[in-house]
Parts: sequence; structure tokens; C-alpha cells
Amino acid sequence: MIRFEHVTKTYKNDVVALRDVTVDVAKGEFVFLVGPSGSGKSTFLRLLLREELPTEGRIIVAGRDITKLGTWKVPQLRRNIGCIFQDYKLLPNKTVYENVAFASEVIGRPQHVIRTQVPQILDLVGLAKKADNFPDELSGGEQQRVSIARAFVNRPLILLADEPTGNLDPATTTGIMRLLDRINRTGTTVVMATHDSRIVDMMRRRVIELDHGMLVRDQARGVYGVGG
Amino acid sequence: MFSRMAYFGRETLISLRRNLLMTLAGIITVFVSLSVLGGALLISRIVDHGTQQWKDGVELEVFMNVDATDNQIEAVRTMLANSPDVRRYTYLSKDDAYREFKRIFRNDPDFVSSIDASALPPSFRVAPARAELTDTLARRFEGEPGVDEVKTASKEVKRLLSATRFLRLGFITVSFVLALASLFLIVNTIRLATFARRREIEVMKLVGASNWFVRIPFMLEGLVQGLIGAGLAFGAVAALKVVLTDVIDRNSAFYRGFYLTSADATQIGMLVLLFGAVLGVIGSAVGLRRFIEV
Repeated sequence: MIRFEHVTKTYKNDVVALRDVTVDVAKGEFVFLVGPSGSGKSTFLRLLLREELPTEGRIIVAGRDITKLGTWKVPQLRRNIGCIFQDYKLLPNKTVYENVAFASEVIGRPQHVIRTQVPQILDLVGLAKKADNFPDELSGGEQQRVSIARAFVNRPLILLADEPTGNLDPATTTGIMRLLDRINRTGTTVVMATHDSRIVDMMRRRVIELDHGMLVRDQARGVYGVGG
Repeated sequence: MFSRMAYFGRETLISLRRNLLMTLAGIITVFVSLSVLGGALLISRIVDHGTQQWKDGVELEVFMNVDATDNQIEAVRTMLANSPDVRRYTYLSKDDAYREFKRIFRNDPDFVSSIDASALPPSFRVAPARAELTDTLARRFEGEPGVDEVKTASKEVKRLLSATRFLRLGFITVSFVLALASLFLIVNTIRLATFARRREIEVMKLVGASNWFVRIPFMLEGLVQGLIGAGLAFGAVAALKVVLTDVIDRNSAFYRGFYLTSADATQIGMLVLLFGAVLGVIGSAVGLRRFIEV
């Protein structure tokens, strides 16, 4: 589903964010991307979204080399990739329902599809009763569930999560992880960048560790720290 | 498809309202600049009509007798064609002359119907190689067989022509500067609009909305500004047409041959609308350039 082939990314100021990274993620996998700040996790995700182009190497997503993608085809790529973030990125002047529906509207889904899919997805994330609330009326965990609903409403092949539990307490975090696990079980490939060793140790999924832009570990049923 | 149109319409309206002051400033400058342009074009159109025979360096007109023979006409044509002092000439047949006659006296249909094409003399309009040669040429042709008389452009006509040229240049410069100002205002409005909606734009890009989908509401916003301003300017052109026509009709003895048709005003109005639309679209395209890069 995702393949990095000898990918190097050097930014304009000569900072090397990724150095000759080769990695292969199969369809339906759940992968943790770990490493200290500045290790290249964010660059990894930005490259996948085609927000950046690699300096060297190829990146294949769903069988396509996305480094050769024309600008006008980038939206098509992004429809296959759902995204969630530490700060949720919800629209404050739209209700929960509208936030989720917006993601469907702007890629041109017909209204009748939106009207059936949005309630379904809100039900899946457990927020059916909060559909008419605004984001600032929700707890952090609930807001993250809305953003997951928004990322998943267009049924992407891949879900990218950038520190999704960074702002959440342990109990809420467990709930979010359970939800991501459920989404993963529908066949969606999940790539999650995180600092949270507790989750990684709990989930026992594949772990890819980056350090100073280099791939230092790729372990099938890993934990956060080596031998930890 | 319908829901998408509704979406674009709604987003455009919301954004226009949110930036009401900037939007109004944009509309007003478009209006003023295009009104000045429209006015300049109207006035020069009037002068064009009134001085049609003296356009493009034509300094004299050789009128043949009404009953001049074809041979006489050909002889004059040959002389004109072979003279190094003549830069250019055009021949007006009886029918051409009648067409012009009808236009000049269009307010006097009785007079027009009392005369037909055969009563009018054919003529040659002559542009000399240099303006100083006008009198020499006039004298040379006056004696030719079949020639009735040679008319030269009067001092007043020449002065009027150069004054209009000057005026037109001035007005067009002013409207150009104002158009630049309105372009700047539209660019700024669109920038503000994209800034106000940067979170939406971010989410749109993230979930894979196509670039055009993101752009269209902003493009429409610029277009609406340009078109409203131009629509008002269209009104100004129409009003000015009425006023000018009135002035001409009240002084019809002085302004013989000067006139303005509704077709002229409509044509200029359409041009003004087109300019408005172009201003709006260019303005929003420039305003969007920075933001929409993927």
C-alpha cells in the first residue's frame, strides 16, 4: 500500500530530514512511527500527503509513484488518505455534523449520499447524539473523534495520524486507540506517529523507528523503546 | 451539479458580506474607472461621426460634378494614384455619398426622402503626403475637367480633432490608472477573503478538494465585484448618452453631422462590462496565486 524506496529529503536550509529510508507497509497494516522530535516523522507524513517532494527516491502509494504525480492529480491522492492531527483542525463555526459533511461536500459527493453517510460515521465514532454541537462544546477526546469521523467519511485506503493522542488523558487515549483499531479492522491501513510509549507497548503492532532521519528499527510486534 | 452551484453561490455571498467595506471600495473604483473610460469613448465616438470625412490624415476632398463622366472620374483617379504628393485616397461613389448623407440628416427624414443618390456628387478623399501640400494639391485639381470643387478641412475641424485626440488620451490614461487601483483593491479583497477562510481551505486541501473547487468561490467573488462596478458604469454610459444627445439636438445648427446612436452606447457599454469582468477575474486570480499552491 505504501512503499518508500531510498527516500532522502533535504530541506532548503540543508537540514536532512530523511536519509535513505526504505520501508514497505502492506494493505491493512497498523504501523507506529516513533522517534524523538526532529527525527523525521512529520516529514514522513508530509511526503505521503505530497505536501513535500523527496529530494531523492520514490514513494509508491496504492501502486502509484506519487513523486511523479501532476499537481492537478494531488487532490485525487489525498482522497485516498485520511488525516488526523494533535490539534484536530476542526472548523469552529460548523457543527459536528457540518464538519464531517464538509469533507464530503468539497469533494463533490451528492447530498443524498452525505445525508446517509454522515450519521453512520458519527454513530461509528460514538457521537450520534452530539451532531448539532459545536466543537468548543466538546471534550478533547470527543473533538478527536469528530476529526476521525471527518477523516474516515470518504472511506480512504490509508489513515494518517500525527500524534492524535498528544493532548488527551490516558483514559480518553485508550478510547481513541480502540476506535483507530476498529477502523484498521475494516481494512484501512493506519500509520500513526506518536511519542506515547504506553500506547505502543499496549497495542503490540509494527513499529518503525526513525532517528536523525534514518530508519533505525522496523519491528513486527514492537514496543516503544528497544528492549523496553 | 445543482448542489454544487448552490454551494458556490452561498460561499461567494458569505465572503462578499464578510468583507463588505473592501468589496464596496473595489466596486466603486471599478465603477469610476470604467465610467471615465466609457465617457471618453462616447465623446470620441461623437467626434468620429462629426468629422468622419477628415479622419486619418484626410485634408481635402475633391468633389466631381454630379454628371461627371466615368472617363473624367478615371482621369482624376489616375492623377491621384500617380502623384507622389498623395499618401492615400479613397473614392466615394454616389451611393456611398447617399449613405453618409442619410446619416447626417437622419433627424430630417423629409429632406432625405426628397433627394436620391443620383443628385449627389461622387468624390475623392485625399490624404496628402505632408499637410503643407494641401493647398498645392487643391489648386492642381480645381481646374480638372469634371471637377466641381475642392474642399479642405477647416481650421476649426483640425483644432477639434487634435483637441479630441488629446482629451481621449488624457481620459484613457486616467481610467487606466483607476483601473489599476481597482485591480489592487480586488486583489486585496480576495487575499483577505482567503485569509479569513484559511482553515476551511486547509481542510479542503487535506481531504482532496480539487483546486478549482477551492478557487471558484473566490473567482466568483472577484467577478461579482467587477461586474457590479461595470454594471453601474454601463448605467453611467447610458445616462451620459442621453445627456449628450440632448446637448447636440438643442444646438443642432452648431453640431451638424454630430450624433450618437443607441447602438454606439450599447457597444461601449458592453465593452465596459467586458472590462469589468476581466478586471474581476484577473484581480482574484492574482489574489489567489499565493494561497492555492498545493
